[in-house]
Amino acid sequence: MSRRLLIVEDDEELGAQIVARLRAAGFEPTWWKEGRRLTQDELPKVELVVLDLMLPGTYGMDMLKDLREHSEVPVLVLSARNDTADKVRALKLGADDYMTKPFWPEELVERVRARLRRPKLERSDVLEVGILRIDRARREVSVRGERVEVTRVEFDFLLALAERPGEAVTRRWLAERVLDPDRNGDERTLDVHVSRLRKKLGREAIVETVWGIGYRLAAGADR
Amino acid sequence: MKLRLRLAVTTIAAMIPTMLGLFWFDAAAQHRAAEQILVDFAYPRASSAREACEAAPASWGRELAPPPGVPGGPRPPPPHKKGLPPGEPSRPPPRRARPAVAFAYDESFHSQNPDAPVLPEKLVRAIGGHDVAIVPFSWGDPTVEVLLRMPWGSGPCSFVLARGTTDPEWGAVLPETQLWLLPTLAVFAAMLLAVGPVVRRIRQLTEAVRRSASNAYASAVAIDGRDEIGELSRAFDAAGREIRAQLEEKDRREQALRHFLANTTHDVMIPLTVLQGHLATLRERAREGEPLDAGVLVSAMQEAHYMASLVHNLGIAAKLDTAEIGLQRDAVELDALVARVIGRHRPIARQLEVSLESAVPEEPITIQADVTLIEQAVSNVVYNAIRYNRAGGHVAVILERASSDGFCLRVIDDGPGIPEDELSKLVARGARGDEARKRAPSGQGLGLHIAYRAAELHGFRLTLGPSEFGGLEVVLEGKLAGA
Repeated sequence: MSRRLLIVEDDEELGAQIVARLRAAGFEPTWWKEGRRLTQDELPKVELVVLDLMLPGTYGMDMLKDLREHSEVPVLVLSARNDTADKVRALKLGADDYMTKPFWPEELVERVRARLRRPKLERSDVLEVGILRIDRARREVSVRGERVEVTRVEFDFLLALAERPGEAVTRRWLAERVLDPDRNGDERTLDVHVSRLRKKLGREAIVETVWGIGYRLAAGADR
Repeated sequence: MKLRLRLAVTTIAAMIPTMLGLFWFDAAAQHRAAEQILVDFAYPRASSAREACEAAPASWGRELAPPPGVPGGPRPPPPHKKGLPPGEPSRPPPRRARPAVAFAYDESFHSQNPDAPVLPEKLVRAIGGHDVAIVPFSWGDPTVEVLLRMPWGSGPCSFVLARGTTDPEWGAVLPETQLWLLPTLAVFAAMLLAVGPVVRRIRQLTEAVRRSASNAYASAVAIDGRDEIGELSRAFDAAGREIRAQLEEKDRREQALRHFLANTTHDVMIPLTVLQGHLATLRERAREGEPLDAGVLVSAMQEAHYMASLVHNLGIAAKLDTAEIGLQRDAVELDALVARVIGRHRPIARQLEVSLESAVPEEPITIQADVTLIEQAVSNVVYNAIRYNRAGGHVAVILERASSDGFCLRVIDDGPGIPEDELSKLVARGARGDEARKRAPSGQGLGLHIAYRAAELHGFRLTLGPSEFGGLEVVLEGKLAGA
């Protein structure tokens, strides 16, 4: 069940490249080589639109307007001109993101993936990241279903990372959120907690060190 | 329509209703005067002739010959208003009025005189309890009729109808001759004459403006005078100067554009040549069946990436060079901007084996900025950190909230860094894009220069210094939107 995308790009070479890349990345792209006005009935059944702005037929901005009148489908705008007015206008018309040409194909694929990533499910008491399971209410942590005893600081640290899985979080912010300011907790103290925690969790439930930034919970099995 | 003709037509259009009004007023005044005179004249005559009237009501009245000396009676023609003495030989004899006539009526408004007209209903109603009733003035009717109630109030002579005409000698406002037309015509002619110099000056002005336009507004539109036309000429002159200034500005921009094109061509041709060289190498190796050289491939990608960055930078440098840059400030989400910049450079960072990481706060950070400029500034700093790093090196981009109303964006790396004295040169205030490019032909100078200028234009602060990891740390600080 690959996800359907609409590509609107007039350039043969670039269009073909984009379509091939997206197909290779597991999407099902439909390619329009010119802009056209859209009505409620003609809306393509797709999950995301990649829209070039400079198009023969109907100008990209007009297509964007049409799209926004009838649907909420995410739109990723490709703009050849590196022009502020164009970008601002596209965003105001409801584009979700824009990319300036030239771009590497993998950048496009990543952007499309990022847009299609489902928003996080509603806040539940239990967070699962890879093999790690965190129960907020009971303040319990388990790896592959096995309970691991953690301290308060360790639990808060894991929770802070797990709320933003895959994202690097700065040590300063973690120290502020996790450590008790009354007990002289600083960023060095945090490192000590982390090394202890790593031992408890074992190698698999990876708390990654991110150079220059801090830590990150690898999304693990998701990737 | 020419000015003169327009003026003539307007004048005539204004004069016609004025003249009509004047004629109407004149006729009405004549009528009123005639009524008054008729009443003053007929009443004493009729009231002193009761016996004569009652003796022969059928034949009484008729013409009322004005006895000499009756006050209010028909007067000798008044001295002429325009100063012509009466009775001058050239003047036509005055039109004689028909003499006034009178008829007697009884209490029921019937007359025994067969010549007497039937009293109009209006007049009968109007006499009511009054002593005198008058037929109101109507346009074009010279007849004046007054109905008088006699003091005795009974008998065949209870009422007397006196009828006369609006004799020109009876209270005319306008003189009878058409001489009064003269001043009107004189005013009209004077107006047309007066407009002559105005028209001439306007023609001169037109000529001067044409002359000025024909030599691209280089000569002045010089018409002296303190009148409106002089002012108009000065306004044209000011407009001409403004146009000249704009033409010069346009020329300047065109020059800048040509300059930019020449520079762009030069700067892009070099990496393009390198790229062609890499592609040719790859092709030759492929032809000889040698394995793909990943190093050459990465270099080729690197050149392409550099070229893209360079073209963006040159475009922005041109924008910065034309002094009064119009910043198109709008709300910009810095965390999304960081994500875009990371996305743009991650493919090349991967190829160069430089780790590229970023961290943004949970809450979005919004600033007021020209998104293209700021994005290019951040992009330049990040790309420099990657480009001047080595395989296995690191680059981190950290966006944080600074205090309550500011942001702090740090780009740190563990590359070779830049010596202190080089740093200060790179971001030297007032260094033009060209010079920056010349000093650092690899493009680093231009990129940092642009970053510095963009920050400055936004009122942000860009600082460069050694990072704690041995490389460079570039910090961009500023206020949040609405702060």
